[in-house]
Amino acid sequence: MSEVARILIGPLVWLALFTATYALHGIACSQAWYDVDALGLSLMRVVLLAAWLATIAVAGAILLALLRPPLGSRSPFVRTVSLATAATGLVAAVWTLFPVATNSICMA
Amino acid sequence: MRLFLSFFMHRGLVFRLCVLGLTPLALAGCAGELSTVDPAGPAARTIAQIWWVMLIGAAAIFALVMGLLFVAYRPARNLAHASERVFLVGLGLAFPMIVLTALLGYGLAAGEQLLPKGEPEVFYVTADAGRWAWRFGYPGVAEGYRVSEDVLHIPAGRPVDVAITTRDVIHSFWVPRLAGKLDAVPGYVNVLRIEADAPGRYAGLSSEFSGPGYTQFGFEVIAHGAEDWQAFLAGELE
Amino acid sequence: MSGLARHRRLTRIWASRPGFRGWFSSVNHTDLGKMFIVAALVFFAIGGILGMLIRAQLATPHSAFVGPEIYNQIFTMHGTIMMFLFAIPTFEGLAIYLLPKLLGTRDLAFPRLTAYGFWCYIFGGSMLIVSLLLGIAPNSGWFMYPPLSGAIYSPGINTDFWLIGITFVEISAISAAVEITVSILRYRAPGMSLDKMPIFAWYALVTALMILTGFPPLILGSILLELERAFGLPFFQADLGGDSLLWQHLFWLFGHPEVYIIFLPAAGVISTVLPVMCRTSLLGYGWVVAAAVGLAFLSFGLWVHHMFTTGIPNMALAFFSAASTLVAVPTAVQIFAWIGTMWRGRPDLRLPMLYILAFFATFVIGGLTGVMVAVVPFDWQVHDTAFITAHLHYVLFGGFVFPMLGGLYYWLPHFTGRTRYFFLGETAFGLVFIGFHGTFLAMHWVGLLGQRRRIDTYDADAGWTAINLASSIGSFVLLIGLALVLIDVVLHVILSARGRRNPWHAGTLEWAMITPPPAYNFASLPRVSTREPLWTDPELPNRLVRGEGYLGDPPTDRRETMIVDIASGEPREIVVFPRNTALPIVFAAITGVFFLSLLIKVYWITPLALAAMAVMAWRWTWSIGDRTDAGPQPAGQGLTLPLATERDRSPGWWGSLFLLTANATLFGSLIFGYAFLWTIAPGWPPSEWLVPSILEAVVAIGGTLAGTLAIRAASVANRKGAGCVPALAVALIGALAAAVALGLLMARIPDPTGHAYGATLLVLAGYALFHALLIALMIAFLIARVRAGYVSPIRRAELGVVRLWADYVAAVAAITIVLVNLPGWVA
Repeated sequence: MSEVARILIGPLVWLALFTATYALHGIACSQAWYDVDALGLSLMRVVLLAAWLATIAVAGAILLALLRPPLGSRSPFVRTVSLATAATGLVAAVWTLFPVATNSICMA
Repeated sequence: MRLFLSFFMHRGLVFRLCVLGLTPLALAGCAGELSTVDPAGPAARTIAQIWWVMLIGAAAIFALVMGLLFVAYRPARNLAHASERVFLVGLGLAFPMIVLTALLGYGLAAGEQLLPKGEPEVFYVTADAGRWAWRFGYPGVAEGYRVSEDVLHIPAGRPVDVAITTRDVIHSFWVPRLAGKLDAVPGYVNVLRIEADAPGRYAGLSSEFSGPGYTQFGFEVIAHGAEDWQAFLAGELE
Repeated sequence: MSGLARHRRLTRIWASRPGFRGWFSSVNHTDLGKMFIVAALVFFAIGGILGMLIRAQLATPHSAFVGPEIYNQIFTMHGTIMMFLFAIPTFEGLAIYLLPKLLGTRDLAFPRLTAYGFWCYIFGGSMLIVSLLLGIAPNSGWFMYPPLSGAIYSPGINTDFWLIGITFVEISAISAAVEITVSILRYRAPGMSLDKMPIFAWYALVTALMILTGFPPLILGSILLELERAFGLPFFQADLGGDSLLWQHLFWLFGHPEVYIIFLPAAGVISTVLPVMCRTSLLGYGWVVAAAVGLAFLSFGLWVHHMFTTGIPNMALAFFSAASTLVAVPTAVQIFAWIGTMWRGRPDLRLPMLYILAFFATFVIGGLTGVMVAVVPFDWQVHDTAFITAHLHYVLFGGFVFPMLGGLYYWLPHFTGRTRYFFLGETAFGLVFIGFHGTFLAMHWVGLLGQRRRIDTYDADAGWTAINLASSIGSFVLLIGLALVLIDVVLHVILSARGRRNPWHAGTLEWAMITPPPAYNFASLPRVSTREPLWTDPELPNRLVRGEGYLGDPPTDRRETMIVDIASGEPREIVVFPRNTALPIVFAAITGVFFLSLLIKVYWITPLALAAMAVMAWRWTWSIGDRTDAGPQPAGQGLTLPLATERDRSPGWWGSLFLLTANATLFGSLIFGYAFLWTIAPGWPPSEWLVPSILEAVVAIGGTLAGTLAIRAASVANRKGAGCVPALAVALIGALAAAVALGLLMARIPDPTGHAYGATLLVLAGYALFHALLIALMIAFLIARVRAGYVSPIRRAELGVVRLWADYVAAVAAITIVLVNLPGWVA
């Protein structure tokens, strides 16, 4: 089971944080955080940027941890596949949340 | 890239692409009162241009894949190339990433232009859908011309924001030659930016299935020239 | 024992009852796999005929032969049947038939569950077909958007048939997914470590996990919509605090992964068949596995791309657009892995390969148009037009039907043991290919010219007539082609000569048996050291028949196979399977009565049906296990292994784990819905909040927590040989007390029909109450088992299963209590 978990953990964490960021955007819009100033930007932009960077950091940390035991597998096959799926998670984190973090607006 | 795109922006070329028979499909021609590839407004034109760019790209990729399949059946193929590095890293990962990055950037930038932004010359109308009639309202227009049914009057050559609502189920406001569609969802007001280049009549549809009367559920947009528009505002038209 | 004697002995143990009666009592995966596939093909034929009716209606502006009332039923049922009654069951049938054979074992993990799932599928599917014959079929489109599908605008029983029938059918998808997951992880040939699994097993594993997490949102949506329709709980009514967009989220949270749930098994077929047709092995096995896993995950991140026109914030559009395009990358990895395999090998043009080439030509177009519609502005134009109809048929027919037809012809000699010699199949292929593209290629264009989906006719001056007529002609060519495939297969089954074993010279284990396959699959279980055992050892089939593997000499009349370690594939336990029984079909029939009582709204039957189901479940589980300790058993080749019931984690534990995964996804979807309504829906806040009650909270949380702790104590006592009934009695009291507290909570929820807030609270608390009662029933069962002598310090598996469920129930109770009070506290 732990071998299967190693293969699934990277994208699983991405999916959870992706959903969380989506929820965060919903909250930011409903609470009008785009009108609140923070660090020279809107609070919404700051929060979403932070969420993006945090997601990248977590995805990157998982990828690094999978390189060697205890989180990394001793089986070469599972190691390769888990690194590939964790890399998928990292790329997905950078790619899919980039527009959210940098370029999002609230409609109406 | 910009040069490349502006090349395609040229309407004459788009028209020729359409008629020259890129595919047998083009035999049917691009024209039509509901045709998205016969745009009559800036939003629809941008989207039509996106379509032609994507069609050319897709055709090239399709040809590449078919070519690779064809070569697989030729005895003279270079077997040294059948490696994980070429097929999986090169073609599987790098190639789509590059194409998709370009496409996504282009798509997002184009989409940005289409969004309603608060500009002074924008005209506001409301569109309220219900099974199976559209009611259009003109806030701030002379008394007596506030409402029209199944016909939407707009000024030509000027952006119009349509506030879309529904009285019952989900509908969708769509004038194919002017812009994309936007849904009318219970409890929400959705705003769509449309604009017609020239005076004329443009067919509109509801494009979200709404039950037995769906097929015939359409409307008409009349874009007025400057004089007509003043007449409409003054209540002298119709 | 000679090979023939072994065959006779194993056949006597494993065979289904002869003739007609065998169908209803068989629990054998080979029988049920074939029954699944045949049933799915029957539904495919029905769905296909409905598709033809659509094309006949639209052939010209004057060819409409039915009005919108009937036409709406036709297209709704076409989509519904193809998605739920054809595509998913075809995967289930193929996986059920093939997996044990590919994995080198004798049956799936839960044989009776296979049969139960099959009968639920048949009964639920029949319900929908009956509605079609009676002219009261669902008519709101296959994605059933409320408010159109709500009680106000669809007052008839039509929509109820969809919501209840499909939920019934989905039981079979969930049970098959649990079964496939556990089977792949634990029921394999000795030595088959994860990296030596046949690639199809990887695809099936990923698909099954996707079903477990993809279907629950739709099941939840169906339950909520049916509750709204039947009892007026306004989840989707904007004026009462609901939101119709919630349905769209739940539906597409299922609906998009569904596309990949359909595509991945077909990709598994391609990855299996294509290398054999090229006389080589798959290029980049590990890459393909990683791509399948990555694809599965990414597909859950892009459901909103079906909702680009609903006016959700542009940012959300941007990021779902990004995710939608990204999903093309793992797809590309697989496509190019296959093409690379062809370059590396010597591809031929035999019939399975022709279908795979058709897949490439079709699916690549579908994928490219898919990337196009992921670009938001373009989607604004083509959404709900014929362009989308064409796109989705390129994806689904190209990505599923073509590979599956290739797979059908590939495994046909395995199903029948015969060889195909007609050229009918090649002719049929040509017609199917030409007919398909003739139907759908030009449909892209007519969509761009403004033809919407779901219209029942159009104006002659719209300029669409030529394309529609061509499309309708193409569809009849397609129909003729598919009919020829059917004739070809029937002729093959009844006329063809017996063929030799392994006609394609494949390397995987399903060909290491006589064909058609015997009921027990392998006379003895092979030890595997490579991914293509038959290429490594061509003599393997004969050696297995001679008993040179494991479990070749069954000491008793029991059906036994082996359980292995997940990662290494080393043997761990022997499992004993149940025999032929009519229990599954009876249980499915009673389940059908439950759903029928909801459908025809005769609610006094519902609790009776539930009670009968509880009795059946009790009997079902009671028949497992022994009253005496068996100890280590001989497994052949000098190996001895314990029985699975004498371990902490039995197959039942693993099955429960994955069933709970699906269950937790359902609960998670409910929480998502609650949070969505709270933060997004217009019409909030409600007029009054729930008043928190400390006593209720303490009893509900404390009772379930005490339950799970007491079961732990019972496990410890049992291991020491002491009695565990007192601890279990404490657990039972705890669970019942929690149930009472949750019942009281439900009774005082503010006006569930007046606002979506109360309605959601009612469902949350009802979910927790149901689980408290369920765990109470399980504990009562356990007490009865202990008293009847089925539990001992060695035979301890049942305690582990109940403990897992008790942990889940405790978590549900705690989360529910916090959530129902949260908005009130915040406000």
